[in-house]
Amino acid sequence: MEIKIIAFGRIAEITGKELMLTASDTDTLKQQLAGKFPQLSDMKYAVAVNKKMTEGNTELNTNDTVALMPPYSGG
Amino acid sequence: MTRWPSCLLIPADNMEQSNERYARHYTLAGFGQAGQEKLLNARVLVIGAGGLGCPVLQYLAAAGVGTIGIADHDRVALSNLQRQILFTTGDVGSLKAVKAAESLRKLNPEISIETHTDEVAAKNAWELIERYDIVADCTDNFASRYLISDACFLLRKPLVFGAVFQYEGQVAVFDIGNHDEDRISYRDLFPESPSPDEVLDCNEAGVLGVLPGMIGTLQANEVIKLITDIGEVLRGRLFTFNMLTYENMVMDLTMRSDTLNLMPEDRGHFEKTDYRWLCGLPSSDIEEIGTDDFLEAITQPDILAVDVRERDELPEAGFPHIRIPLSQLKTETSGIDHLKGRKIILFCQSGKRSLNAAELLTAAYGNAIKISHLKGGITALQNKKHEKRV
Repeated sequence: MEIKIIAFGRIAEITGKELMLTASDTDTLKQQLAGKFPQLSDMKYAVAVNKKMTEGNTELNTNDTVALMPPYSGG
Repeated sequence: MTRWPSCLLIPADNMEQSNERYARHYTLAGFGQAGQEKLLNARVLVIGAGGLGCPVLQYLAAAGVGTIGIADHDRVALSNLQRQILFTTGDVGSLKAVKAAESLRKLNPEISIETHTDEVAAKNAWELIERYDIVADCTDNFASRYLISDACFLLRKPLVFGAVFQYEGQVAVFDIGNHDEDRISYRDLFPESPSPDEVLDCNEAGVLGVLPGMIGTLQANEVIKLITDIGEVLRGRLFTFNMLTYENMVMDLTMRSDTLNLMPEDRGHFEKTDYRWLCGLPSSDIEEIGTDDFLEAITQPDILAVDVRERDELPEAGFPHIRIPLSQLKTETSGIDHLKGRKIILFCQSGKRSLNAAELLTAAYGNAIKISHLKGGITALQNKKHEKRV
């Protein structure tokens, strides 16, 4: 399944702002990302599927959009 | 002519002034006098009077929020002025909460401004937050953000969150009211703090002044909407914004199953929680040296100043020192064996990396090297110089 990924903050500096990957669920997607971008494996970030924040592994369907959101602390 | 006692005249006068001051609110459809009254009766605590806090405070005071608390223990630095718009060059070196209060009282003398200049920590946060209706988190570090989030959750106080990174910002409202579906907290978004190296703050990553201006203004908007019950508050939602492209997204948050396990269960546990330690920061056992003591110490022959900034970072320190970048210390802490038996004072730009380096070296060498660090870093030294000039 082709999934569109939108990255934010420091994650976007590593992955680029947008990319496409093929994955059937969010765990597989995260593994693929960690394989492609080893720096990501140590980073904490939230995963939203179609603008809804997920907890745990979530199934993905064609044309889903996944957002990778790291925490910001600046103020 | 009837002479009224003066105490009766004052409220009448005030009322007239109020009418004129808030005239644009009264005529605004859906807001009116009822909205204004809600603002006047509200008590809002703004934690952090920096890049986000300044616009939040300014708009809430202008709008006529009846009681505003300002909590900040920090002092104005010259490098703050490019974004912290309540302060002037003459304020450098003064307490932010005090200077912000002065500025807001000039803007709106009819409201009450309360200042809190002690550092907001687990031991005092409960008592402080308890006294207000709504909290705006305008801080600049994760230890404070998790502390405020947990306290607001336990006290069921609505929390208006804002944060920035380089050209991007986040805003969310954790309403944490009486309905279970509203009890989404910052921990439902990010259950645990990232490690200190994972996320850069404004000192390290830089920030364009208008970004906290924009995000802070959105926070002020959410506070006003919450109080006056207008529009759609970002309740349980995260708004993200990129100032370079205007790209934005609103994401729905959900309650996670593990959130409650990560939070202290009550006031007693909350007050015993070490948020600095939880966020990967040292529990502050490292000796901190102030600028005056530092300048005196570095003239002593047995003390060595060590710059832990990266190789090409400016400004160059104008006193004798050696440079061992933090990145190098992280890979080989044994690299300073030749300093055993010496006294060293570590320094960096803001005091954050030198503290981190001090922690690493203390873990590696114990008491074999006497380690301290310069509080506030080169920035503090520069501010000191500046203070002397003005």
